[in-house]
Amino acid sequence: MNPRALCAWSFAALTVALATSNPIYRALVLLCALDVLVVFRRRGTHIRGLLLAVAIAGVVALAITVLFSHTGTHVLLRVPDAIPALGGPITVEAFVFGATTALGIAAAIIAGAALSIVVEPHELIDALPGVLARSGAALGTALNLIPGVGRSAVEIRDAQRMRGWRPARVRDWPDIAVPVVLTAIESSMTLAESMEARGYGSTARTHFSVSTWRPADTIVTVSALAAAGIFVALRVIGVVGDWYPFPTVTVPPVNVLAACCCFALAAPLFAWRR
Amino acid sequence: MPALDCVDIEVDGGIVALTGASGSGKSTALRVFNGLVPHFYGGTVRGRASVLGMDVLSHPTRELARSVGFLFQDPELQAVYATVDRDVAFGLENLGVPRDAMVERVHDALERAGIGALAGRAVNTLSGGERQRLALAGVLALEPRLLVLDEPLSQLDADGAVSLMQTVSDVAARDTTVVIAEHRLEHVLPRADRVLFIDRGRIGATAPPPPHLEPFPVRRTAVATVGAGHWSLRDVTAGIGQAVVADVNLDGGGDVVVLMGPNGGGKTTLLRTLAGLISPLSGSVERPPGRVAYLPQNPTSLLHRPTVRSEIEWTLQHSPGGANANVDAALHAFGLQHVAELYPRDLSTGERQRAALGAVLVGGPALALLDEPTRGMDAPARHILVNAIHQLRAAGGSVVMATHDHELATAVGDRIVQVKDGVVRVVPAVERVPA
Repeated sequence: MNPRALCAWSFAALTVALATSNPIYRALVLLCALDVLVVFRRRGTHIRGLLLAVAIAGVVALAITVLFSHTGTHVLLRVPDAIPALGGPITVEAFVFGATTALGIAAAIIAGAALSIVVEPHELIDALPGVLARSGAALGTALNLIPGVGRSAVEIRDAQRMRGWRPARVRDWPDIAVPVVLTAIESSMTLAESMEARGYGSTARTHFSVSTWRPADTIVTVSALAAAGIFVALRVIGVVGDWYPFPTVTVPPVNVLAACCCFALAAPLFAWRR
Repeated sequence: MPALDCVDIEVDGGIVALTGASGSGKSTALRVFNGLVPHFYGGTVRGRASVLGMDVLSHPTRELARSVGFLFQDPELQAVYATVDRDVAFGLENLGVPRDAMVERVHDALERAGIGALAGRAVNTLSGGERQRLALAGVLALEPRLLVLDEPLSQLDADGAVSLMQTVSDVAARDTTVVIAEHRLEHVLPRADRVLFIDRGRIGATAPPPPHLEPFPVRRTAVATVGAGHWSLRDVTAGIGQAVVADVNLDGGGDVVVLMGPNGGGKTTLLRTLAGLISPLSGSVERPPGRVAYLPQNPTSLLHRPTVRSEIEWTLQHSPGGANANVDAALHAFGLQHVAELYPRDLSTGERQRAALGAVLVGGPALALLDEPTRGMDAPARHILVNAIHQLRAAGGSVVMATHDHELATAVGDRIVQVKDGVVRVVPAVERVPA
């Protein structure tokens, strides 16, 4: 698959997920995005951490809404008014609204995360348009340094611990942070020097990698962008609107065309082969 | 004080070796060849410098890069992209070479660097030696007329160093001039057409015999006292998550145990287990009472104090009973008295290594654990390390170290232990063959 097509898909999925608060559409986007992520993730990547992060973000959003909104007709229980901010009724409606928010957050995160889980960060950088190529090289280099900084942080912590360092107060942490930062700066300087020695910064620049664009990439890009375009248009003319469970929960309305737009985000599953 | 003082160097063909102590100005001299001094580092330059008719002072490094290739010390810090062929192409992209020509030149450069088979590989899966060859390929792709190498062997094991130097010789044989600074002279001197010696910023008339070629002092005395510095590993299986070493039984006390064997075999895991940095998955670890010192693979990265003296004091303050130790004696023992009040990260590579050694080994630890201690070390630092190990042992301390360095192992080792594929085997004395 072409990283630019994936970018287009990711952008479209984000647009649809954020264009409405209707939980049906959000759930459909989440479902498609999750499918794409699971099917096309790079070998060796783990999505458990990501899913955990999404779950935590969802639960936090849910808890905040449930505990602080205090609106809605069906009261589950009542927190004493003496407690500031928390005091008040806890309602079914707040719960549903919290769940809707969580769905939106999850759909948006998964749609965005596909970029880093499905293609290498370097493939994305290569996909940058020509004018940004030089910044892309710098960005790519920075990405190369990140694992090294992580490793050196662990090494330095171990080394200082063996010199007797025991973190008791905040004041002790510079003994780790300072050498980690200094080492990272020195590494960057060395790398910058070696880039300079290989002619980085010259005016005329050519490109080694040519990314291939297949018909499947056209299908994915066109369908995703069309889906997002139509969905936004439906939203503008009022066919698709926001949905709130207040004052009482109702069944969210579903427009067939809008739902089809959400399903179109599953196009990668049929167009791209793994 | 200038780093270089009225230096006259004229280079025209062959392999020129630049020698001299750490901090003598070798690195500065090398960087004049492609204009990193003064264009990257700034500073003032007097005199003239030209390469292939181009004035170095008026041409930026990126232009000189067409004619002058530069290979740096650290294999880890020269790759820009994540895959091998892509990274080799980086310089060609910068110089605006058309794509069709680029593909061919990348292929040729990889072949010349001896890593043609690695073209599609991810850079982070390469060994140190392979990464250094990748950096060389990236430079060769530019088809330089002059190739400058700054300590290119220091991070490599013996095999990696031999084959890299072979490649460099082949490059020199094909009409490319090579200038190389390297403290592992045994690899360089046999191949050099000319040797230049730099001493405190000046070109010396005649080079003194390099100290590295003198053998290390071997001082073998009977193991001091049984029980002092005693440590043991009993049925230890260790690793992070999964076992890297299994069922290890090993002990020592007052002696020097050398762990040898291929990378990834479990040497570092054993050292870290013994240090207490990781808990064994099963089995038991016994450490002597008193301080356990640990020298990690990149020791200079731990330096963080404003002066070398305070770096040593910091370790002593944090170790039990260390406050009374004599800091000046320690500075002297590690050859640091003249840089005691300087900022450690401003020192030359060799001086930084000695500062890190001092910071780790000061205060007479009961057990010292050293991971590849001579990697990247210059000759004086190696000698100071050997002396420090002899002294530790004489004081009843124990040493366990992982190394590829046969010379060091022979000079200080009481026992050599082979660690390979997670299995530990004590090597009988008859099997010990000097490198």
